[in-house]
Amino acid sequence: MVSLRAAALLLATCALGCAGTGRATDALGRVRDLEPGQQGYAIIAAKVFAMDDEDHVYAPGMVLVRGSKIDYVGPPVDVPAGYQKREYPQGVVSPGMVDLHTHVHSGGFGDVNDMVMPVNPEFRASAALRPSNELIKRACASGVTTLYGIPGSGTSMSGFGIVYKTKTRAKFEDCVVRNPGGMKIAQAYNPERRAGDLGATRAGLAWMLEDINHKALGAMREGRSDPALANLIKVHQKKLPVLIHCAGSDSFPAAARMWKTEFDTDCVLSHGCFDAHLTAAYEVGLGVPINAGPRMLDFNSTRDGAITGIAHAYEKAGAKNLSLNTDSSVVPQEELFLQGSMAAKLGANAYQMLRGVTINPAKVFGLAKRLGSLEPGKDADVVVRNGEPLDPRARVETVLIDGNIEYDWQRDGQWF
Amino acid sequence: METRMSKRKRSPLCIVCGITLGVLAASAAQAAPVQTVQGKNTVVAVPRAPRAGEKGAPGLALLAKKALAVPFEGEQVVDNAVLLVKDGKIEALGPARTTPIPTGYEVQDLGDKWLMPGMIDLHTHIGGTFDINDTVYLANPGLRVSTSVIPKNAALKQDLASGVTTVLFIPGSGVNMGGQGILIKTGHERFEEALVRAPGSLKIAQAGNPERWAIGVGRSFMNWNLRAMLTRGMAYARRWLEYEQGKGQRPERFFDLDVFPELAAKRTQVSTHTQMFQVVLKTITMLRQEFGLDCYIDHGEMAGYRAAELARDAGVQAILGPRAVEVPTQQFINWTGSNPEALLGIAAEYQKRGVKMIGFNTDAPVIPAEELQLQAGMAGHYGMDFSNLEGVRGLTIIPAITAGIGKRIGSLEVGKDADVLVISGDPADPRKWVEKVLTDGKWVYDSTKERRLW
Repeated sequence: MVSLRAAALLLATCALGCAGTGRATDALGRVRDLEPGQQGYAIIAAKVFAMDDEDHVYAPGMVLVRGSKIDYVGPPVDVPAGYQKREYPQGVVSPGMVDLHTHVHSGGFGDVNDMVMPVNPEFRASAALRPSNELIKRACASGVTTLYGIPGSGTSMSGFGIVYKTKTRAKFEDCVVRNPGGMKIAQAYNPERRAGDLGATRAGLAWMLEDINHKALGAMREGRSDPALANLIKVHQKKLPVLIHCAGSDSFPAAARMWKTEFDTDCVLSHGCFDAHLTAAYEVGLGVPINAGPRMLDFNSTRDGAITGIAHAYEKAGAKNLSLNTDSSVVPQEELFLQGSMAAKLGANAYQMLRGVTINPAKVFGLAKRLGSLEPGKDADVVVRNGEPLDPRARVETVLIDGNIEYDWQRDGQWF
Repeated sequence: METRMSKRKRSPLCIVCGITLGVLAASAAQAAPVQTVQGKNTVVAVPRAPRAGEKGAPGLALLAKKALAVPFEGEQVVDNAVLLVKDGKIEALGPARTTPIPTGYEVQDLGDKWLMPGMIDLHTHIGGTFDINDTVYLANPGLRVSTSVIPKNAALKQDLASGVTTVLFIPGSGVNMGGQGILIKTGHERFEEALVRAPGSLKIAQAGNPERWAIGVGRSFMNWNLRAMLTRGMAYARRWLEYEQGKGQRPERFFDLDVFPELAAKRTQVSTHTQMFQVVLKTITMLRQEFGLDCYIDHGEMAGYRAAELARDAGVQAILGPRAVEVPTQQFINWTGSNPEALLGIAAEYQKRGVKMIGFNTDAPVIPAEELQLQAGMAGHYGMDFSNLEGVRGLTIIPAITAGIGKRIGSLEVGKDADVLVISGDPADPRKWVEKVLTDGKWVYDSTKERRLW
């Protein structure tokens, strides 16, 4: 008996060792029968990554999906009454992935970049959302379950994005998580206008952004109702976050100064490609979260011909809650996991990169109460693969969103 | 010229190559390793003493956790391995307890790292300048990309850092017969050292690009055009081969047909840009069965897998990429002739139909050369079975044999060129990365000493 226990402990230690930072093995949630008429799945697999704050990893593990929520995550136990059992002896379970920088909501037909005026706080991307379009379906089949769909970077303030799920047969109401989901800003590298008006330079762009922000703050102070500024006011009330497109060592610190130091918003610096990583210590010092991608490597800025892993550079600078993006379809939406794989190849910690495509983006965008990890009470967005989540050789077996099987390799064939 | 020709039994092309290389070799003088020394105003090359493992130096012993030996047949993996390198060649490979290290050898303990043969990419366009697509005539068997080679250029350097030690550098696919490719190593700076074989192949593009030539041609014309050129070329080859065997008059010499005696004598192959079913079908029935050429599917993609059983039976190898999948299409006209209900992995489909000789290519720069490893990994993602190291073999021994250089490179076997990678694990897992590269016994990339390039 003693030796059996020792063996079990050894196995558990080994499983955690593979995870990198795992500690505990105790179960989360409870095991109870389903209510009559309620739908539920018991998913049993070789390994379960919970991606919670205690880095639970269960090998083997079980997830109980009760209705649309998660009820239990832990070692396999006797399946309570009513649950449909789904066993994956070689399978690895992780939370559905979350991408904060995406443009596939219109289905690849553009419609994301109104560039008439330089700042557009009135606009909302929700008008362009085509639920369950082909790009969204393929994203689902790759294990991506939640997207922040945003306008393009053709103007400095291009409007408000929408947070939605990648369900494969959904109506608008069924897939929206938060609308508006947040604001989109393009600080530099694209919004520079060539229209002969203000905004040809960074100075002009910055002035326009400050101007519109002060207008919103004024309206807020005076209690004036202005439909054009209503959502921007929510940003200044910290009811909505801001995702900022910026890439170079010039615009990255400038964006952090404006949106954190000057206006104190819930901002996330997105892209961070090119040579922005050289300024990582500054943004990390200000406590601004970074959402890296689509480029995962930098060849040029160091000018010595060597390659720098961008995620690794932010990790080394101590970035907290680092997340990764595809800027889809710049990098195909279904390759979000590959962003993590390549970040790991170029030096970053593989387990932290899995956090970077699941719980970390949910946290920095105020979505972690519902999404990003497998914890009791959270949305049942669950991905089963036939191998490790960031191993490109592995493919997706099953994807559940809100407790429903949205994609199944056996049932639907391979979509990605 | 005539007597030398008949004595040495050399085809006319060999003479041309011999003369060209002779001139180049004379200018390079001697083969001793060279290092560059930067003076105040000048950069001079001075000979340096050869290092362990190189030609004329003491041997090199590498100790590693695992060695993926991947010979075509036999033991594929050696645990706790010792690899001995002497005079640029592999001298021994075996488990540490049964492989003694001779005295005087430089020993390097690589700890947890693995060893494997250098990777081989049989479809690339990055060997030098990009002017490799002469599209004046629809068939150009005489053109040679060897004239465009820039050894160890920036793209090749990065390719090397990703573990690719040998590439087939070929002309583009703007016409049906783009000319002659060249097999070169990525790690050497001098043409003579880098050269593995010229001609590395005759590049034929059967479809899917040459259509854009001048007034536009279709499949019927292209097949006729290829058949006409091949008929002429092989008749020329037959006359020369007969003459070399002492039969008949010395034939008239046509420089543009010089590659055909090489093909007829099986000294080079046809690398075929081919992809759809009806095109792969012609690769097999026309190039292999009708003309008896050593040809292989290169750039294999789209629905070509539907001819895979024929390829298997005819012994035609399949080097696949850059596209890894065949997908359902909603287009008005379905160009590829195939519209699967779900996504299909091309390598998996070839494998399912019994093709054993499956390798991968990038068509670099279509897919960056350094992502060859990812091509293998994604083949696994899309359903290829890797249980017998198919992912590793498709990067090494399979392309080596396909290109007719399997006796020289492609596996860690005694007597082969010491083209060896030090890698962090299974190369079919694209997260693993190459730490150091040995080519012909010489360290040509070392991320522990220089900056990491991939």
